[in-house]
Amino acid sequence: MARSKEELIAAMGNAVLEMEDEEAAALAEEYVEAGYDAMEGLTEGLAKGMNRAGELYEEKEYFIPELLLCSDAFYGAVDVLRPHIQKKTDSGEQMTAVIGVVEGDTHDIGKNILKIMLETEGFDVYDLGKDVPTQNFIDAAREHNADFIGMSTLMTTTMIKMSEIIQELKNNGLRDRVVVMVGGGPISEAYADKIGADGYEPDAASAARRARELVLAHRS
Amino acid sequence: MMESNNLEKQEFTPKSRLHAILDGRRVDRPACICPGGMMNMVTDGLQKEAGVGLPEAHTDARKMADLAEAVIKDGIFENCGVPFCMTVEAEAMGAKITLGNNLFEPHVVEYAMSDVDNYAELKPIDLESGRAKVVLDAIKILKDEVKDAPIIGNLTGPVSTAASLVDPEKFYMQLRRKNENAHKVMDFVTEQLIKFGVAQVEAGADVITIADPSGTGEILGPKYFTEFAVDYINKLTDALHEAGAEVIVHICGQMKYVYDQLKDVRSDALSFDAIVSLREARKHLPGRVLMGNVSTFAVELTDPDNVDSLTRKCVDNGADIVSPACGLGMGSPLPNVRAILKAVRSTPVSEE
Repeated sequence: MARSKEELIAAMGNAVLEMEDEEAAALAEEYVEAGYDAMEGLTEGLAKGMNRAGELYEEKEYFIPELLLCSDAFYGAVDVLRPHIQKKTDSGEQMTAVIGVVEGDTHDIGKNILKIMLETEGFDVYDLGKDVPTQNFIDAAREHNADFIGMSTLMTTTMIKMSEIIQELKNNGLRDRVVVMVGGGPISEAYADKIGADGYEPDAASAARRARELVLAHRS
Repeated sequence: MMESNNLEKQEFTPKSRLHAILDGRRVDRPACICPGGMMNMVTDGLQKEAGVGLPEAHTDARKMADLAEAVIKDGIFENCGVPFCMTVEAEAMGAKITLGNNLFEPHVVEYAMSDVDNYAELKPIDLESGRAKVVLDAIKILKDEVKDAPIIGNLTGPVSTAASLVDPEKFYMQLRRKNENAHKVMDFVTEQLIKFGVAQVEAGADVITIADPSGTGEILGPKYFTEFAVDYINKLTDALHEAGAEVIVHICGQMKYVYDQLKDVRSDALSFDAIVSLREARKHLPGRVLMGNVSTFAVELTDPDNVDSLTRKCVDNGADIVSPACGLGMGSPLPNVRAILKAVRSTPVSEE
């Protein structure tokens, strides 16, 4: 007997939380085949599972391997739902983020966690990866009409790149259109202020929350 | 805490002091070292003073030894250590790396395999060629030329080496998803590290430091930390002990989730990064020799006075061996770096 929408939504969330990638994707298939609303499956099922995974990570029940596995199950199932999601027309909620590790640095675990956390906060995230040249940030911000740019580095030698990117945003007339946050081991609130960033947080979870607040405040 | 037999009145050399500390004996003051490897001590300033530059010294045994000796000649730290990066092992096993330059360290640009399932593609380390041979030759030169300072060889830890051979994110996921083959990778990697480490001891290294920044409790959580970091580090440590070396293990990140697991690490000393309070570590790890943990951000970005007070705090907090908490940023000004040893030499050690 076919399962109800509510049952499937709960099961999808659980599959993400339990790191069951194949099950999450199979449930998503079953869900769309039954003709249920894909957007609701994403926001009420998968995203809630991912959100709970984020909470467990903050509570140190989950660590990086578990969080990555949840994220993998999440994205696998999102890929199944995505073609069936009705494009929102005039939604004011859509937020777009561009993130990356600045040029010269390849430490990207924090950035990757930020990506997941931003997704849980409702951002569409364009991840430029690690060791990203300044110009790529500028191009991506323009191309995707970004609301938010997040950049990180773990190394003192590459901090200077953050200030360079902010300067280039200004030179390209983009600075006022985006919220910029910076993070990583050597970065501090004081440094963020000094280079003219809008914010700094010491960890990915609080950075994603702050990003959402700042973007919404910036819009109003 | 060290044995409380009477403070020996002997004059220590940097080498005898470090050995005494690692043996758990009481000494006149903490040793002050920067091992090399991930905990690199070569800065741009040192290269200029020594007249030997990077990346050349990464691939030339004589130059590598010269830079390592410049560290003691210049009174910067009380040891010679090689190599100056953490890519030698991964490169020898098949990863592609870039050697960087005077300011940037070598790093991996292409992994050796796409998935832990392909563990059979990994190459054994060839001790007769490439940078593994350079490191061994450099240690032999140091053994000939350096008498009073300890020679420290370095190994990239098993998890960090594995995470340089396959994309770390994938590797972390496969610890669970492909557990059996993840262990096959770890077995192979550890066997190769043992071979390279024992060869370093035979070449003349007095101490081996294992640094495993990708295998931290903060990343892995307690369960995988034991299963993948501690167990393999111990295999490696046991083999190095058998070869006659003392072993320092450096682990990055917060320890608060894994103090219990750390007790099982069989190294002669445990080294922590700046986020760890040595005073707190001491409470959790009674009887262990602790090394640490002057913030390398402070060394790079502040001034000698600040480094001096941070170093004194390390001594006060009970560091048996004072060292930078991580690899030095290569742009760190030499006066800031020198302030560490200066402070260690002039800080009175409280009798407890």
